[in-house]
Amino acid sequence: MRKNCKPMNEADLLPFHIIEAASEGDVAAINAVLKHYEGYIASLSTRKLYDECGQPHYCVDETLRRRLETKLITKILQFKTA
Amino acid sequence: MEQSSSSKESTIRHQFDWICKLALKGEVADYHKHLAYRQKHEVTLSELSKKELSKLFTMDEYSVENHCFQVLGYDVEVKDALIAEALQTLSEKKRNVILLSYFMEMSDAEIAREMNLVRSTIHEHRKRSLELLKNIMEGSTDEKEL
Repeated sequence: MRKNCKPMNEADLLPFHIIEAASEGDVAAINAVLKHYEGYIASLSTRKLYDECGQPHYCVDETLRRRLETKLITKILQFKTA
Repeated sequence: MEQSSSSKESTIRHQFDWICKLALKGEVADYHKHLAYRQKHEVTLSELSKKELSKLFTMDEYSVENHCFQVLGYDVEVKDALIAEALQTLSEKKRNVILLSYFMEMSDAEIAREMNLVRSTIHEHRKRSLELLKNIMEGSTDEKEL
């Protein structure tokens, strides 16, 4: 059902062996997962900030980016492939 | 219902992607809630009122630093060194009247009873003593300024 409401290209998904290795704690695989979601995390942590003149600037909130990375790692390690 | 291995893997890949994205979105919401909470409750030190600021620290008080006078069995502590010095120069009777009326907050009548004197005498003592104190303290501050 989810596939229907949100069509997902198979190529956009991580390969199964990486998911499996990452969930078992493989460092290289976890880094690959982080790399895969890097763009998504960056876009989520982008915040609109205003300078003294009231001009909007878009900045990546580093604190939030780190928090998201940490969250992602905990979720990867919780994930059960079986 | 037996699933083929490739479709099972595909399901897991989708599940994994879904779980990751959901967790990240949840974390972003948490972070914004946290920011809103801080914005509501945090104040810079410079914006604190004097009263609020004074709650942030305490000053130790040591009785040895205060001058102690004994009046009719009461111990009266005087914190201000200048006042204590001025009081020291007064005669004992005058000092007692001042201490009892201003530090022990007794009325003239009460002091009169305690000291076996007439009320008007106490009143007179008090008036004279205050004038003396005024002269002494003004004199000593003038000296300091010079």
